[in-house]
Amino acid sequence: MTTPSMPILRAVGVTQRFGKFTALKNINVSFERNKLTAIIGPNGAGKSTFFNVISGAFPPTEGQIFYNGQEITGLKQHEFARIGISKSFQITNVFKDLSAHENVRVAHQMRISRYNILTPRSSLRALHEQADELLAKVGLSAVAGKRASELAHGQQRALEIAMALASTPDLLLLDEPTAGMSPEETVFMMDLIHRLSQERTVILVEHKMKLVMGICEHLIVLHHGEFLAQGNPEEIRNNSEVRRVYLGQN
Amino acid sequence: MTVSFDLLAMQMLTGIALGAIYALLAIGLSLIFGMLTVVNFAHGAFFMVGAMLGVYFFTLTGNFWFSLLLVPLITGGIGLVTERFLVRPLYGRGIDYPLLLTFGLSYIMIEAMRVVFGVEGIPSSTPDLLRGSVDLGFGGFPLYRLFLIVVTGAIILGLWLFLEKTRFGLIIRAGSRDPEIVKILGVDVAKVWLIVFGIGTAIAGLSGILASPTRSVNPEMGVAILAESFVVTVVGGMGSLMGAVVAGLLVGVVYSLTSLFAPALAELSIFVLMAVVLLFRPQGFFGKAGLMS
Amino acid sequence: MKELYIQLSRHRVLAVTAVLLLFPWVMPYEALAVNILIFGLFAVGYNLLFGYTGLLSFGHAAFFGIGSYFTGMSIVYLAMPWYLAIVVGVLASLVGGLLIGFLAIRTRGIYFAMVTLALGQIVYYAFYKADKWTGGENGLRGVKVAQIDIFGIQINFVDPITKYYVLLVFVVIALWFVSRVLASPFGAVIEAIRENEKRAAACGFDVMRTKLLAFVISAGICGLAGCLRALHLSIVPVDSLHYLQSGQVVMMSLLGGMGTFFGPFVGAGVLLYLEDVITTLTKHWMAIVGAIFVCFVLFFPKGIWGTILHRTERRLSITAHEELR
Repeated sequence: MTTPSMPILRAVGVTQRFGKFTALKNINVSFERNKLTAIIGPNGAGKSTFFNVISGAFPPTEGQIFYNGQEITGLKQHEFARIGISKSFQITNVFKDLSAHENVRVAHQMRISRYNILTPRSSLRALHEQADELLAKVGLSAVAGKRASELAHGQQRALEIAMALASTPDLLLLDEPTAGMSPEETVFMMDLIHRLSQERTVILVEHKMKLVMGICEHLIVLHHGEFLAQGNPEEIRNNSEVRRVYLGQN
Repeated sequence: MTVSFDLLAMQMLTGIALGAIYALLAIGLSLIFGMLTVVNFAHGAFFMVGAMLGVYFFTLTGNFWFSLLLVPLITGGIGLVTERFLVRPLYGRGIDYPLLLTFGLSYIMIEAMRVVFGVEGIPSSTPDLLRGSVDLGFGGFPLYRLFLIVVTGAIILGLWLFLEKTRFGLIIRAGSRDPEIVKILGVDVAKVWLIVFGIGTAIAGLSGILASPTRSVNPEMGVAILAESFVVTVVGGMGSLMGAVVAGLLVGVVYSLTSLFAPALAELSIFVLMAVVLLFRPQGFFGKAGLMS
Repeated sequence: MKELYIQLSRHRVLAVTAVLLLFPWVMPYEALAVNILIFGLFAVGYNLLFGYTGLLSFGHAAFFGIGSYFTGMSIVYLAMPWYLAIVVGVLASLVGGLLIGFLAIRTRGIYFAMVTLALGQIVYYAFYKADKWTGGENGLRGVKVAQIDIFGIQINFVDPITKYYVLLVFVVIALWFVSRVLASPFGAVIEAIRENEKRAAACGFDVMRTKLLAFVISAGICGLAGCLRALHLSIVPVDSLHYLQSGQVVMMSLLGGMGTFFGPFVGAGVLLYLEDVITTLTKHWMAIVGAIFVCFVLFFPKGIWGTILHRTERRLSITAHEELR
């Protein structure tokens, strides 16, 4: 049973080791519901590793993850999506040979039918319509029929977001959503993310400080695989530890 | 049938001699796979070519040692040409393509040997120096098989030293773990892959000539052995040299002992062993969970 | 032109059936046509797993052989009517598919070809050694179905043309089923897994379970092809189970066109027809097959039919495949 004040996601004692290398050291952090939170930190801070752990790519070497109070450590990747946690990848990961519309349709199909082997999918009208809606939401209606590999980089990243939305998540995890984007594309993406965060909880990993300061409500700072600080943009901006760590990087 | 300890010991030792060949083959497969992510479906064919050429040169020159040195150079050379002109164009296409290519290549190699040596195969013989048997206290054990065990042990030790102690060996070990790092370090990856493929096929050919006195040598002899070397690889864990050795010996011994107690089930037994391992430990005994997903 | 293409794609089962109906009349002799029909179905079943799901199995001869042997044994030892024997054969191959698929899919993807090859060899050696029931290296003999009874009509099964059209009924039903599977939601998932397994999992699809289902369906279709083969040959050669037989269907799939509906028949047809022609000229057929296959792997990975479709679609500016369903 979830209460409004219960954190939507909680990491307890999360440690990640790759052989002899420790990427994450005893991270304890909670993410509040319906907030737009960013995980930031200098390069090598362990942001991507932490993202992978909380998004279900692999379980942590030690520690636990809780979603709405329920432990989800060690669940398989597809189970994460089914319980309402959706992700986008740092390096664009779409179905290259399918059209944008087909990409989103497949993603949405998870909620409608997975093992049906006899009904023609062309007859599933609801699926088509919802895919169209999702494409409209991310501004890709014009290129719905275009092959994903032929879309511009920014459009591919928007497509990924549409696919992440297709599984109707309560929690959306985005790994550097503006990576490789032009300034115009970045503005569009941040605007989209802001709109999405009104309807659900969004957690981002970002290293472009100006972006996160502008729209995020809560920031979590990692450094050398450890938790450094958290707070709203104002608090983080004034945090001496954070300033020291980012010395020269602002 | 009462089984004496002597008989059991003999059979185990025979199994180890068989296992030595399996271990060598699996090492060759593992090197090529670990470095290039290519499953060499022509590995059995290279084994066969090694055996056939080995017998041919031995019969021709009367010198087994010369053949032992020459054959891996030839099969290694064929491997180099194969990688350079047939396998290399396929990188970046998807992991199945080199596999498929080597499979097609095996067809060509088998037929080529049929053309050169005839479909019947050629009779193999043990070099004079290594004929006869040695009394090991529990019976007379063929000298040649003892030689096999010792020589393969030496080769494997040499390979281990090469991998652990030389710079090239370090590149191979690093490259198996993370190909990207090797590229960043400025190593000519193409050349490394070429050489490793050649080493792998050279080892396959060497296994062939070493095995030739113990089995019938014909163009089809590589067909069954390919399947058997896959068993060893799956049981030991792909990419692990230790796994190849341990699994190779285990598979050899299992085959040998089953031949003693239930001869009809001998071939079946090693595949069933693999199925059991798959059930409880899909990555093999020494399989690294992190190597390529 | 584009409209014609789209219509043909949407009604692919009808289109292929039409071709197969006329097929025996363009072949030099009927037995070759029957063979191509059977192996075409084998390749269709295999292509579901290899071309559409992206799993390279090297052990599918096991299901082909299981279908053949179980159909054969049902007729020889249990005097079952031919149509029940087919049901037994297909069921047996489905069970085999479940067992082998369960073991094989647990392993890391790259091992899959090796593991399926080795597991297939278990089936090969098991049937080889159980010679009391299977005939061992001589194969199972005496699967005699000279006359068959369909709703009271006596049909002479020995005549190759009649045989062809009787078998064609089964092939068309199987094709219809495969077409439905490919057009279903499940069909989209298996192609998604082939394209990008990580992405498919992130979307929420249980990749292992989906692969297993695809594997079992594929095994069943290949098993059916085996059942038909037993009826056709009246014997079951033990080599039907060997991994070289698996290799042959892999070649047919690639030669014809992986991930295309008609490609498997093209591949089977070309390979078997060529084999027929070339073995009259030289005994070194194996080298020629190998060389042709190597060439296709290097230069024409889309296969004959796949390349034709690709070029046609480019010329007709067809970009998304969904309009073709």
